[in-house]
Amino acid sequence: MVKFGIEFVPKDPYWKITYFAVQAERGGFHNLWITDHFNNRNVYVALTAAAIYTDRIALGPGVTNPYMVNPVFTAQAVATLDELAPKRVVLGIGAGDKTTLASVGVEMRKPLTAVKEAVSIIRSMANGEKVVFEGQVFQIAGASFLFKPRSRIPIYIGAQGPKMLALAGKIGDGVLINACHPKDVEYAVRCVKEGVREGGRQFNDLDVAAYTSFSVHEDLKKAAKAAVPVVAFIVAGSPGQVLGRHDINLEKAEEIREALKVNDWGRAFGAVSEEMIQAFSVCGTPDMCIERIDQLLKSGISQFVVGSPIGPKVKVAIDLISERIIPRVITEPA
Amino acid sequence: MEYLKLVELIPVEKREITADKLVDVILSSKHSDKMPSGLAIAFLQQWRQNLLSSKLGLSALLEGAILLEQEKTLVALRELRLDELVDRIKGAV
Repeated sequence: MVKFGIEFVPKDPYWKITYFAVQAERGGFHNLWITDHFNNRNVYVALTAAAIYTDRIALGPGVTNPYMVNPVFTAQAVATLDELAPKRVVLGIGAGDKTTLASVGVEMRKPLTAVKEAVSIIRSMANGEKVVFEGQVFQIAGASFLFKPRSRIPIYIGAQGPKMLALAGKIGDGVLINACHPKDVEYAVRCVKEGVREGGRQFNDLDVAAYTSFSVHEDLKKAAKAAVPVVAFIVAGSPGQVLGRHDINLEKAEEIREALKVNDWGRAFGAVSEEMIQAFSVCGTPDMCIERIDQLLKSGISQFVVGSPIGPKVKVAIDLISERIIPRVITEPA
Repeated sequence: MEYLKLVELIPVEKREITADKLVDVILSSKHSDKMPSGLAIAFLQQWRQNLLSSKLGLSALLEGAILLEQEKTLVALRELRLDELVDRIKGAV
């Protein structure tokens, strides 16, 4: 059965996110993902609040990274959160964002190796084992918790590039694919399947999520307007190969990049085209979004995550998704 | 202001729509940093129990909405034709 996830950014205070988390749980969402960036509020505090006020929704960081947060600490955090929300905790981990890491003087060294090693360390620690680890990125002389972790925490790997996607297929319990367009998701799923084969696993054992930039409203123009800022940042951060796959004008993309660098929002957002919105978001009326979700499901995903901006008004958008989209995509109850 | 007394001015049939409008005012506010921590907890407790349109829920919502967006709150209440409530709030602030 396909699952619906929802992403929140703790730029908003914990109580707003918790309000929306409760609303999403009631509306039939299965997963709550909260982003982890040092310049926002702390992800685990936001998750703790959401865990207290909800009962069923699975929740976790979406995604943390092993550079800013040592894997031992991540294991400690999710194991503790699991005591509050037993068997509901999931962990999303990726390599992080190079620019953000650089802004605090952290080098993104060997991202594939770092994520692979971090997953191994977190699994062992969260399994209550004493960890001695001699890796290329992490060295742990002997670490264990003075408490007994309760549940096995499913680990999802946040991935976009082919190698990270394959790694997710090889070692992850799930994968969070940063993509919105069927072309990108189909490509990503192929990469994940390569990793699955390499690891001697079954594709169906993985929860494969499309982690999308999403915007829904009854009025298409309003939905698109809300998506524009997020799409501008995605275009600016996308390599030429990805832009080329969608026939995006590279000069326009460069113009957006330059404008964002100098905080010229008007120029950056003004340069976002209809094609860019189509390529890098799931955006439109509920019926239009259902059509796109159905296309993505055919690619083999098992979870659809609605990410920022969700809609021009988040509360209205969650109701629209709960009442008009989820029941038409899912036939079995949450 | 005694919010629990003020919300008694909201007719029972308008409680739900009032709660909904006040939630909108609070969630769309750009002054969320003004929300006191105790009030945020009260708001979430009522929401979790689906009791935002109860007297306690409305009281938390009204207090929060006025703290965050006084003018927008009064406009929303006026649109709901809760004139006596608007007058009492204006008289108290």
